[in-house]
Amino acid sequence: MRVPWRTTLLSYTFLAPALILLGVFTFYPLLYGSYLGFTEYNGARFAQGLDPKWVGTANFEKLFADPLFMTALQNSLKYLLVVPALQLAALGVAVLVNKQLPGMAIFRAGFYVPVVTSISLAAVMWEWVFNREGTLNWLLRSLGLTSPEAQFGWLNSEVWAFWAVMLVTFWRGFGYYMVLYLAGLQNIPEELEEAAVLDGASAWQRFWKITVPLMRPTILLCTLLSTIAALRVLEEVLVLTNGGPLNSTYTALMYVFSKAFQGFDFDYGLASAAGLVVAAVALVLSFVNFKLFNRPEEEQT
Amino acid sequence: MSLTAATPARAAGRTVAWRQPVALMLRYAVLILILLFALFPFIWTLAIALTDKTAGTSIYAFPQSLFPQRVTLHNFVDVFRSFALGKALWNSVVITALTVLGTLLISALAAYPLARFRFPGSALIFGAILATLVLPSETTFIVNTLTLKKLGLLGTYGGVVIPTIAGAFGIFLMRQAFVSVPVALLEAARLDGASELTILTRIMLPLTKPSLAALGIFTTVTTWNAYFWPMLVLSGAPDKAPMAVAVLKLKGQFNYDPFNIAAGAIIMMLPVLIVFLAAQRLFLRGMEGAVK
Amino acid sequence: MKRALSILTLSLGMTALSSANAQTTVTFWTWYLSPKFDNYIKTTIAAFEKANPGIKVQWFDKQDSMVQDFIASVNLGNAPDVVNLNIDETQKAAQNGFLRAVSDFTPTATLNRTFYAQSLRNFTTGGKVYAYPWYGWINEGVLVYNPELLQKAGLSRAPRSSSEMLTYAKTIKDKTGAYGWVPALKDPNTASFLGFFYAEGLPIYGADGRAVFNSPRHAALLNQYVTLFRGGYIPEDAVRREAFQLATELYAQNRVAMIVGGPQALTRIKDTNPGLYAKTVVTGAPVGPANVQTGGSMALVIPRASKNPEAAAKLAAFFTNNANQLAFAKVVPVVPTTLGAQSAAQFKVTSQDPIAKATGLVGASGRFINPGYKAPGNSDDLYKNFNDNIEAALLGRKSAQQALNDAAAYWNANMKK
Repeated sequence: MRVPWRTTLLSYTFLAPALILLGVFTFYPLLYGSYLGFTEYNGARFAQGLDPKWVGTANFEKLFADPLFMTALQNSLKYLLVVPALQLAALGVAVLVNKQLPGMAIFRAGFYVPVVTSISLAAVMWEWVFNREGTLNWLLRSLGLTSPEAQFGWLNSEVWAFWAVMLVTFWRGFGYYMVLYLAGLQNIPEELEEAAVLDGASAWQRFWKITVPLMRPTILLCTLLSTIAALRVLEEVLVLTNGGPLNSTYTALMYVFSKAFQGFDFDYGLASAAGLVVAAVALVLSFVNFKLFNRPEEEQT
Repeated sequence: MSLTAATPARAAGRTVAWRQPVALMLRYAVLILILLFALFPFIWTLAIALTDKTAGTSIYAFPQSLFPQRVTLHNFVDVFRSFALGKALWNSVVITALTVLGTLLISALAAYPLARFRFPGSALIFGAILATLVLPSETTFIVNTLTLKKLGLLGTYGGVVIPTIAGAFGIFLMRQAFVSVPVALLEAARLDGASELTILTRIMLPLTKPSLAALGIFTTVTTWNAYFWPMLVLSGAPDKAPMAVAVLKLKGQFNYDPFNIAAGAIIMMLPVLIVFLAAQRLFLRGMEGAVK
Repeated sequence: MKRALSILTLSLGMTALSSANAQTTVTFWTWYLSPKFDNYIKTTIAAFEKANPGIKVQWFDKQDSMVQDFIASVNLGNAPDVVNLNIDETQKAAQNGFLRAVSDFTPTATLNRTFYAQSLRNFTTGGKVYAYPWYGWINEGVLVYNPELLQKAGLSRAPRSSSEMLTYAKTIKDKTGAYGWVPALKDPNTASFLGFFYAEGLPIYGADGRAVFNSPRHAALLNQYVTLFRGGYIPEDAVRREAFQLATELYAQNRVAMIVGGPQALTRIKDTNPGLYAKTVVTGAPVGPANVQTGGSMALVIPRASKNPEAAAKLAAFFTNNANQLAFAKVVPVVPTTLGAQSAAQFKVTSQDPIAKATGLVGASGRFINPGYKAPGNSDDLYKNFNDNIEAALLGRKSAQQALNDAAAYWNANMKK
């Protein structure tokens, strides 16, 4: 298919502001950052005003020989389990509040509150929930599911801390994706749903047969964002467990972060290399996401 | 509202009317449970912020701490005054407003050709933009501060705003929204001789208002809460620092005061929640009536 | 064009004017001091500017991002001239070559006359002093206790030795349900358990600089705490949170009977539970067999990248001199690091107010400020490994001896000289 030159010109005119800004403030530093992954560049070199020194794949060899990094990578992959739960919940909630019923505005705003809560504040609250004497144990005790002797602090348990942190990610995330799904739901013609109701389709059938297929572009966007976010999870871990107990919540980004930001002992080379490994995993997963949710017929002219 | 348009269909749906009350109650029950799950930290924080700390109740005494005996606004006044939050509030508003406007403009412009045209390099550009979502960005701030220094933007509002307004998230979100607009609508406009800019501003943008609103809200929240980047850019100009930077000082070593921290947190959160409530209107179906 | 020209001449004129005045501007960064101590800092700066008419001081207070901002500013070429760092960060900055040695500006004899010898040693690396010691604190400065909980446990007096602390912890928990105290088992970003070895008189490094903290005696000490922890006598959160934070929080809720630490704990308790504050008793803290205390301090350093190091050093010396440190100790219960503070009248108080009493107890004891161990090169990685091993021992994953062996092996393999 021949493309009219006017279309090309027009396209690039529209894209120009974004491309210039992205080029200067995103691509250039990203390329530079990737380059750093193959160099030695640490606090001592930096303080002497020396430039990064090319060392080939030395940083990567160091990474894969570091048991802490391997643990971190495994934990990050395990963290991806939050994605399906989060997306199903967010889509479900969006469908539930996408109705002209009294009080829906309050629910929508309420579900959005966790998104705007600062993480350090959220950490204080959740610590109090997960504490040995906290509300979660109190709830379980009231339901007869545990006894005072068997109680433990959830964030101090090698087994449970991971899931506790994940619950906080879920809490912070479902309102965020709900908003995206709400926006997407507006694009589904109301008539379709009404026709399905007339045909006697149950709410369950309508959800799977109409809502989900028509929401594909949004679902792709959300799962992609959520996959990347899960792989790069950091804040919750930093404030809740700092990677413990026994590194059971130590994630890949935590590794990157601690190497890049550990004060004067920083090692940008190693941090960038670790970041590149995470990026490689994220790229593969994004590709899978596209294969799953992007239909060719949506790519029209 | 589009309630009128929907009435015939709703009426026809009465064949299953006996299930309605049960379904409705279930819906509300589920929603209320989720609401409790989402809101309890906020409620606790609000309660602490409103507590008169001189009364001597512990914030951890549950459930009393949820129902303060002596309510006061003193904590808010205290925080506002001792941290000179008035100026910081203004800075936050300026930075956030500029960022949101810039993001919407740039994202919509860039997303339109990516969603609607096939042109040489389109796949490459889209792929490259997407790739920025996953590439390691931990060290970008170093390079960007250097670039800003060269441009003379360090220590200005522009320095905080400009590097953040062109982002993969916004472009991707708007592209996904544009993709789902029916092609037929555009073809009709083109036949009428409308220019592409007219199509974008008169058809695409009104039709994708919900997505624009969503993008606007997300940008508001992230910009409002961001502290690391503004702190870096404005480290030489503290009088331009936004609230997020100012409120961070609440947690200083010698400043341990949960009541003030709670009050500061509420002051931080309220503006964003108000924006959300206002923008919510844009999510509702049929407001602009352009679809029909 | 005309306008551009006039702007150019104007700005040229301005440059000429300012150089005629020979004004030097010194950028000064403090750490976590604003807005609580704005008044003190601003007054001191004003006094300095009055005494040094050629120097203007531009003050910024940094919080969480202090070290990041510092590194970024070096990169940008606008580094601050005087920076407030603590012992660990000063050591790391100096080891990596970020700082100027203080002896470049102030004669050693003057330093020795002004500061405690140990305080200077805290900031010494490679044989050179890299900072002007500023305000400090003592980890075992005072023992703060809740008399009602001790009474309920049948204890009539405060513990007098570190081993007695351990038996107290058991008795108090068994009799009252509250914890005895929260030992700093593994504070983040440091290797706090090394402090226990120091207090016990056990060595951290050998003569050759290698880590030697894995003798059977070291292991036996760690094992005492492991037993206590596994018996439920230490709050389980102590492995996850900073002991000081946890202790003040639990104390205010009557869930911990004693706090070992500086008076800064008291200011927090006064805020969160004024009733308990009024009852709280303050006394000298028990020390270990080595009869030493641990503590930390802040300092003012001159970055290598500073463009006005001479003026900067003047400011740093001014802020850290005896009079100004004593004045700061009047505003907040800190411990001055100046020799002159030993005989300062302001620490001879007989007030019964807990904070005043605690300040009096520790104010003149700056000579005890010593972390107990020197930050090794590559300290972040080494500290993390050490703490991971301590945690493994506490959670029963390794024996105390095994944990210390593993940590010492890691240290000796990865320590940068």
